[in-house]
Amino acid sequence: MSLAFKNLRGKPVRTAVLVILTVLLALTVFAGTLTVSSLRSGLGSLENRLGAEVMVVPYEATTKKSFENILLQGSTGYFYMDKSVYDKISKTEGIGRISEQFYLASTSSGCCSIPVQIIGIDPETDFTVQPWIKKSFDKPLGDCDIVVGNDLNAFVGDTLQFYGTDCRVAAKLEKTGTSFDTTVFTNESTIRKMIRASIDKGLNNFKDIDPEQVVSCVMIDPAEGYTADDVVNDINLHIKKVRAVRTKEMISGVSDSLSGVSRIVGILIFAVWVLGGVILLLAFTMSVNERRKEFAVLRVIGASRGRLARTVMAEALTVGVTGSLIGIGLGLLIMLPFANAVEGLLSMPYLLPDIWSIAAIACAAAAAAIVTGAAAAAVSAYRISRLDTGVILRGDN
Amino acid sequence: MMQGKVWYGKMKKLSTIAAVITAALSLLLTIGIKTVFPACEHKTDTGMWMSCHWAEQAVFAAGIGLCCAGVLAVIVRSPRVRAGVSLGMIPAAISAMLIPNIFINLCMKTDMQCHSVMRPAVMLICGAVAAAAAVTAFLSLKAKERSE
Repeated sequence: MSLAFKNLRGKPVRTAVLVILTVLLALTVFAGTLTVSSLRSGLGSLENRLGAEVMVVPYEATTKKSFENILLQGSTGYFYMDKSVYDKISKTEGIGRISEQFYLASTSSGCCSIPVQIIGIDPETDFTVQPWIKKSFDKPLGDCDIVVGNDLNAFVGDTLQFYGTDCRVAAKLEKTGTSFDTTVFTNESTIRKMIRASIDKGLNNFKDIDPEQVVSCVMIDPAEGYTADDVVNDINLHIKKVRAVRTKEMISGVSDSLSGVSRIVGILIFAVWVLGGVILLLAFTMSVNERRKEFAVLRVIGASRGRLARTVMAEALTVGVTGSLIGIGLGLLIMLPFANAVEGLLSMPYLLPDIWSIAAIACAAAAAAIVTGAAAAAVSAYRISRLDTGVILRGDN
Repeated sequence: MMQGKVWYGKMKKLSTIAAVITAALSLLLTIGIKTVFPACEHKTDTGMWMSCHWAEQAVFAAGIGLCCAGVLAVIVRSPRVRAGVSLGMIPAAISAMLIPNIFINLCMKTDMQCHSVMRPAVMLICGAVAAAAAVTAFLSLKAKERSE
């Protein structure tokens, strides 16, 4: 057994303290970096999830907070406008791609323990949701077929009932880290059937709408040569009772909050790193000071200066590697199973990066903790290599 | 002979420590499921409990059983009995781990408390109980070998 390892075993309390410090350092750097990285992935996913540059919704919907909550936070709800608006918009200049969507919230009875958001799309024209669906289900959505978000506890082949309509789960979407994860998608005719059933059962306050004559929102991509601003201004000027909004503006609030959270987490990581580094430096310095006579004796019996420095460095590396492995293991046990809980706490789009990125973050965090410990020990190792053996053994400091 | 006795004493002491850890983790599961990581609240509109509540109750019941077995493993002196009790705790802990969403369905959305907090916490703690029980059984069997 090497001298460094024997030294560590001989002083279990000191070793445990050093290992715990390294665990905290590795855990903080890993968990913090993974959180920031997941928030960034979530924001990127949200930008892609909205899919269109412009969105047109009923004017009264934009005056309610629930509008943004439905689109960005995954709350359930619905709003409708007359279908004629869709025809008017499609004739507006500068429209490239255009598609309508229908929103409906399920009741908590029937299929689900709590309401879920149902979005109806027109498979002929849709360009925002189908690219996501196609990753899991490469066929057109048939009548009474539904695609469920990743956070819904339903699987392919299950049958769910919405307002008395039996629907077959045709596919389950991949995780997006956005409100898509708790949404059910279906085609236009199925959702109209559900809206009709909901009206017949008197379950939602739809007033006197005709399901065949309404849409919830219109998604638009401008034609070439036109900007989103041109389209937004044109629609807001010429079409009444609706509001066109740029999707980028909608997520700017989320983006601002995300940069704030990222900055705070970054500062925390840096503070813990500096604090951990200083404490490790002090711990190694005190430990080496305590052992000056021990090192002087080793010098007398023939250990070279380099050998003493290498022993101190080997102790630091052993502590660093052990602490980092435990810290990263703890981080994985906390951050992966509780990812949904972290998402709920932050109330922001949160998408864990792929396994290779997580492995890269883990390696970087472990390296940061090991290098910090080694750098702190290097100072002590240098001092040990400059020991004046005679002075120490005589007892003069 | 002397060395064998020392080794036996060391193994027995270590197995007692492992049994205490197993009992403590079982207690954490039993208390935690009702306080720190419970299932979802009942529905606000109807006051009805959702299915995850019954998973919580089942885990609580399993936790009480694990606690009793854990305490028994700590107080018994015979390494053979301790190993037997600990070995019995392993399938019990694994069964408790499978209660949320496998034996009893949880809520519809996986971002709800029962999926996001209760299930991972139960899985982690039950996994730790099973691992600690396995270590206790191993150390007790080693101690028994030396005592013979």
